[in-house]
Amino acid sequence: MTEHTTPRHTPKGRGVFGALLLSAVCLAGPAHADTTAAKPGANLQSLAELDGKAPSRRNLDIKTWNTAEGAKVLFVEAHELPMFDLRLTFAAGSSQDGNLPGLATLTNAMLNEGVAGKDVGAIAAGFEGLGADFGNGAYRDMAVASLRSLSAKDKREPALKLFAEVVGKPTFPEDALKRIKNQMLAGFEYQKQNPGKLASIELFEKLYGKHPYGHPSDGDARSIPPITLDQLRAFHAKAYAAGNVVIALVGDLSRTEAEAIAAQVSAALPKGPALPKLAQPSEPKPGVNHIDFPSKQTHLMLAQLGIDRADPDYAALSLGNSILGGGAFGTRLMSEVREKRGLTYGVYSVFSPMQVRGPFMINLQTRAELSEGTLKLVQDILRDYLKTGPTQQELDDAKRELAGSFPLSTASNASIVGQLGAIGFYDLPLNFLEDFMQKSQSLTVEQVRAALNKHLAADKMVIVTAGPKVAQQPLPPPTDKPAEQPLGVPEH
Amino acid sequence: MNALARRAAGLLLSTIVMPLVAVAADVQPTHEFTLDNGLKVIVREDHRAPVVVSQVWYKVGSSYETPGQTGLSHALEHMMFKGSNKLGPGEASRILRDLGAEENAFTSDDYTAYYQVLARDRLGVALELEADRMGSLRLPPEEFSREIEVIKEERRLRVDDQPNSKAMELFSAMAHPASGYHTPTIGWMADLERMKVEELRHWYEAWYVPNNATLVVVGDVTADEVKGLAQRYFGAIPKRATPPAKLPLELAEPGLRQLTVHVRTQLPSLIYGFNVPGLATAKDPRSVHALRLIAALLDGGYSARMATRLERGQELVAGASASYNPFTRGDSLFVLSAVPNTQKKKTLAEVESGVWKLLDELKTTPPTAEELERVRAQVIAGLVYDRDSISSQATTIGQLETVGLSWKLIDKELDELKSVTPADIQSAARTYFTRERLSVAHVLPEEQAHD
Repeated sequence: MTEHTTPRHTPKGRGVFGALLLSAVCLAGPAHADTTAAKPGANLQSLAELDGKAPSRRNLDIKTWNTAEGAKVLFVEAHELPMFDLRLTFAAGSSQDGNLPGLATLTNAMLNEGVAGKDVGAIAAGFEGLGADFGNGAYRDMAVASLRSLSAKDKREPALKLFAEVVGKPTFPEDALKRIKNQMLAGFEYQKQNPGKLASIELFEKLYGKHPYGHPSDGDARSIPPITLDQLRAFHAKAYAAGNVVIALVGDLSRTEAEAIAAQVSAALPKGPALPKLAQPSEPKPGVNHIDFPSKQTHLMLAQLGIDRADPDYAALSLGNSILGGGAFGTRLMSEVREKRGLTYGVYSVFSPMQVRGPFMINLQTRAELSEGTLKLVQDILRDYLKTGPTQQELDDAKRELAGSFPLSTASNASIVGQLGAIGFYDLPLNFLEDFMQKSQSLTVEQVRAALNKHLAADKMVIVTAGPKVAQQPLPPPTDKPAEQPLGVPEH
Repeated sequence: MNALARRAAGLLLSTIVMPLVAVAADVQPTHEFTLDNGLKVIVREDHRAPVVVSQVWYKVGSSYETPGQTGLSHALEHMMFKGSNKLGPGEASRILRDLGAEENAFTSDDYTAYYQVLARDRLGVALELEADRMGSLRLPPEEFSREIEVIKEERRLRVDDQPNSKAMELFSAMAHPASGYHTPTIGWMADLERMKVEELRHWYEAWYVPNNATLVVVGDVTADEVKGLAQRYFGAIPKRATPPAKLPLELAEPGLRQLTVHVRTQLPSLIYGFNVPGLATAKDPRSVHALRLIAALLDGGYSARMATRLERGQELVAGASASYNPFTRGDSLFVLSAVPNTQKKKTLAEVESGVWKLLDELKTTPPTAEELERVRAQVIAGLVYDRDSISSQATTIGQLETVGLSWKLIDKELDELKSVTPADIQSAARTYFTRERLSVAHVLPEEQAHD
């Protein structure tokens, strides 16, 4: 084979922060560099020379308006590259499936299978012949349809015309539905070999029960076959309505052009209002659930209900989580489980704030014979962190990290269009990120700890394990040289 | 789907403005220089945002390894995070994290690379950290004894517990009878079990020298700025001769090889691989560009032949792909894979004959002008889209340089693909899609093992 890339750890980007951080934020924060010679990193010349100022960022000027049909639009002009990105986010995820699990995913997958006068091959040839990329996907809260195209008029206009038909007037051909159902069934067979996937399906079921977040977005082998064309059409008519979408647009377009594009797309969609919001889930029953699976490793997932997107504790929990297990090296989980004990390749924790309370989750894998000891270790780390954490140093470091990573979040059109989509979809104010940043920078240790304890309890976790039943061994002792000393990174 | 397909087609991504591309934006200045100690530096300016990516590429990977010592390059990559002269184990990662940087590393058969993405004013930190571990890696034995356990977990996670990766690992070993591409990058488990930190020390001393590395910086910087920093941090690291590195050459026509492997899967699958040259080893580069176009005709999007005919038309497969990487240090492999449509009761034998039909058609019938035009449109647009990411620009440059080609190839991309005629495509198909060059794997569910 040609490519055998094996990264050192799963890149999780910037976790919760990166997914959201956007433009136009002023980094508030005191500059009190306190580097001392005793601190590690102090003999780096480059570090000592940093001026301690917050890094500058690409300035974004977000414009927003509503189309005549009620679609919300967010737009950022970017003329550096002769291209644009258009992203439609509908409240048409699997939480709208009702009693037909997989309906939202199937509808979304069928968008580009047929429009008047064009079958799936002609649609694909249409986009590809223009060099345009069409994308789609359905998740729990949202369904997405996107277009990336060159901005030159002879490419842009035909690409948009086709895109508008695909999202607004799909014909849902019957033979295509059969084929896509078969492919989804093959997918269900395929996921049977994946213990991590099986564990994750089980976890959501235990966490959410009958709530609309409880079933997998793809549905399952029993729910998919009976779904009918009429059900797809009905779902499209209500969930792909202009009142139920957010249009994010970034690229080489003038405001006038952007308005025309948004109007064109919005007018092509079915008419209708936003769908009603979901109810909050009820508290799950804690406990351990095991899936017997003949793998070498055991997958461990621990979860609780977390928060929704509007929760006032979002900043405190994000910051608190980044210290516990937010993706990079040096988090408490990564340091204790991987770096000091070599038990896993990766261990992460995450709050996923959603339309209603999304999960807080810890996820790792370890060799089967150490799985019980490792699970207990992770629970102890969480318990201790909720009780005593974070330290002042950890909090200061996390604030610096947040400020420093900020310029990365607006570096590409792709990242900007993602941020616009999230802001629009979760109905956040345009200055949400500025608020978020200021809030984060002003948090105290006590506030973070209080927020964590308000939302999490170590003995209330819903736990799913997937792996073989094997005789258990004790954990190896940790190294006595934690690489956790405070660092001499100047404030910025 | 389209973006993936474009990559699957091996069409060189990235940047650089083609004079032929009417839609292209202004040229991004790209500068190249070499320090006295042999470190090659390539700087591309991209001033859209005040961020920068720094990548250090070493010319070493699993294809350089010998039997019994597989996995050394990848294990060394892990140990590069475990301390050097100025830094304790894990310390560099914490410094970078607190600066808000993204960092990671990756190992392949032809290269090992390390990168940081960060605010532009912090570039010096990234370079100082890289220079320190290039010149003075510590390799503490007690760190190694823990890290090798992490690597074994990585192997279990990515290969041993992933039936299709496991099958692909065996397939790749079979498809490369003569070259180091036989070796899985993560290493065989038996070799991980007996790896010694002294071997890593030796591997490090052999290959981690400035004259065997390329520093690529893309972002909001100038050449002078980078030159100053590179000289300051890397300048004092001495040059040292590396062992001779032979190109991984394969047998041209090793003969048909077949493998049946039973793994813990519910779905059977088929893998085909033809031994073909890469750009670095081809006598005639046009044949390589013809193979790239063939990959695009077969799988360059949802309107390409595999999706149109095998997936939708005949409904033979639940999914299928074709890929070819021409940018290898040695000979390459043209790979096709497919999962039969079991809902329609299709068998591996039927899928095989469907695949051969596509391949034989390439030999006998020239592609239509419309099909070629569609591929070309995707290449032109892809050259613009890839400029949206500083990391993908840097990766393209680094990869080309490290496999012994030049980043300037990007400039010729479109011209070279345009120069391929329908006759070239037919001729390449006839030359390369033969049973003498073919490896076949049938990947079957375990319950069929006793048939």
